[in-house]
Amino acid sequence: MPGVLDRRVHFVIGKGGVGKTTVAAALALILARRGRRTLAVEMEASGRLAAVLGAGGAGAQPVEVGPGLHVAAVEGRAALEEYLQLVIPVKRLLHTIFASRVYQYFVAAAPGLKELMTVGKIWYEATREEAGLRAWDAVVVDAPATGHALQHLRMPQAARDTFGAGLVQREAARIAAFLRDPRATAIHLVTVAEEMPVTEALEAHAELTGPLGLPLGWVVVNRLHRRRFAAALLDALRTAAAQAPAEWGALLAAVADRAREEEGWAAINAQHLAALRAALPVAAVAELPFLFVEEFDRAALARLSDVLEAAIAPARMRARVRS
Amino acid sequence: MTLGELVAGHRVVIAAGSGGVGKTTVAASIALWGALGGRRTVVLTIDPARRLAASLGLESLDAEPRDIPAEVFAAQGLRPRGGLAAMMLDQKGAWDALVERHAPAEARARILANPFYQHLSQTFAGSYEYVAIEQLCALAESGRWDLIVVDTPPTRHALDFLEAPRRLDDFLDRKVIRWFVRPYFSAGWSALRAVNRTAGFLLRRLEQATGVSALAEISDFFGSMSGLFDNFHERIERATAILRGAETAFVLVTSPEEQVLGDAEYLSSKMAALHMPLRGVVMNRVHAEFRAAAGGRGGGRAEVGPEDVADVAAAIGRALPGRPEETAALAENFADYQALARGESLRIEQFAAGLSRRVPLVRVPNFARDVHDLASLAAMHAHLFGARVAA
Repeated sequence: MPGVLDRRVHFVIGKGGVGKTTVAAALALILARRGRRTLAVEMEASGRLAAVLGAGGAGAQPVEVGPGLHVAAVEGRAALEEYLQLVIPVKRLLHTIFASRVYQYFVAAAPGLKELMTVGKIWYEATREEAGLRAWDAVVVDAPATGHALQHLRMPQAARDTFGAGLVQREAARIAAFLRDPRATAIHLVTVAEEMPVTEALEAHAELTGPLGLPLGWVVVNRLHRRRFAAALLDALRTAAAQAPAEWGALLAAVADRAREEEGWAAINAQHLAALRAALPVAAVAELPFLFVEEFDRAALARLSDVLEAAIAPARMRARVRS
Repeated sequence: MTLGELVAGHRVVIAAGSGGVGKTTVAASIALWGALGGRRTVVLTIDPARRLAASLGLESLDAEPRDIPAEVFAAQGLRPRGGLAAMMLDQKGAWDALVERHAPAEARARILANPFYQHLSQTFAGSYEYVAIEQLCALAESGRWDLIVVDTPPTRHALDFLEAPRRLDDFLDRKVIRWFVRPYFSAGWSALRAVNRTAGFLLRRLEQATGVSALAEISDFFGSMSGLFDNFHERIERATAILRGAETAFVLVTSPEEQVLGDAEYLSSKMAALHMPLRGVVMNRVHAEFRAAAGGRGGGRAEVGPEDVADVAAAIGRALPGRPEETAALAENFADYQALARGESLRIEQFAAGLSRRVPLVRVPNFARDVHDLASLAAMHAHLFGARVAA
């Protein structure tokens, strides 16, 4: 079986605020660096992924943001229109359809249609060929928050099972099979090592590997605080601060406060990272440090992608799977 | 205006913002403040926040408001002069309740069993938001509450939430529904096909694509539901009136992270366009920046940055002699947090510059612990409202 980095589609999912966009951007950079023509996709057209990768924004048309790396936005309604343009070649008719209220109504009302079209468009890009060659070697998707992302990933199976025999059902079945293929797809779970996010990550993991039967990639634990400061040290520093000359006392007290803050987070992170590692059957947990930067710029992203690449290097993956 | 005056002056407080910024916690803390101050308060949360439920002394949150027992307050040293109840949005259950409440008895079973209805109530993006608005209306109209605090879904969905009434109204546009309420194989549809060739073409294509059954189910669903639409329309107008009303205040909860603030600005501009402007901002998880007192340390600059790390290390070294490794670690950690805090200060300043002067902005520090029990919710009050409520 090909390694995780060789898969064609990478969905990056996780609870809101854990750093999915950053991890998706880092993964896209790694793939492009390793020589793969990579398309980074943002859903919901938030502009966040494009911004992190250094583009002003992203539309349906891929924008080049680096060697072998493009970014595009995929949105259900636009994807549906593009799809209809493929199956209905008469342009005048299409315009009339798109403008008609019955069409608008159907798009708004049909359950899960927009989700299905979004995932369908991603599948289409991942498998599209130009002159006999694949358009992209890898597609990295910055997915919405866990629940909403799972709703998208569930939709092809649901459409396959609920629509009557027809074009939609056939297409849905192909997409569902692609998503479940461990040679083609990887779902990466991003979390931070705190109670709620870890709980949600474990639930998502169970849902993905259980009922959905989708192939898991890595569980990326983001923003780990690591520095530990003994309570005795901080007490000593505080005592010294109280006795120091006024101009230094306040500074030393602040130094002690920040050390206590870091220690607090490091303790929380250590506890929940251990819980996560204990609960997961897969050894494929990658750890990323908390980055202390004034601004999260390209340099910070490059640093993070280096750490991520070291954590997910194929040689190490194979060794872990064997052990 | 302060955030305290804002909350005191409104009956409905809606917390909006990105995911993962502590919205649920802030909403719960605001609700607790109202209860401590003597108001009959309910908090409507959208998260299955089990720990929040547990810390409120409830087994779990469900779709009915549950009172927080007095002994739970007492155990944490709090004596509310009002009352506090909590409830959670239950999407599927709430849709079913809507049907039960509004549908004629003979249609109920048919609606509940309709596959299209089942999709709609479980997976239709946005349906969650319709239900949230519906529940907010029910709470607001019950007359039981002096303060209703609502925790909304993350940003993009928050917009769905705010736009839900208008979208539902579009959705239920009677001119279009006229077609759908007729049985699919009836003359109405044939007439539509005959009169409107585009529609006829589209319908044939849709049949080919999705099978006849999908369209027939949608038609059947609207047929069964048709009696409810007038009722819905009226409710939507009432919901819009509540959301835009003088009793309602939207409070943005955000963190000073770059991407999160970008989302916050987007949300803020969209809300203004929807005539539901922000009335307050809670800047959560802010890292403290140390600034030297005037005339203090070194050259008298207030800022302490990475360039001062040697000075800082020297000061720590004098305080903790003979511990070079720990001194270096402490100095590096301090410099790191200063860098983080400086970036945040700058971004908060820029963000605040875009706000109206009447919109209060409060900063809540980044506590190195999970905030979830009543006592820690109360501890947030010092930062949100400038003071604890005397309980």
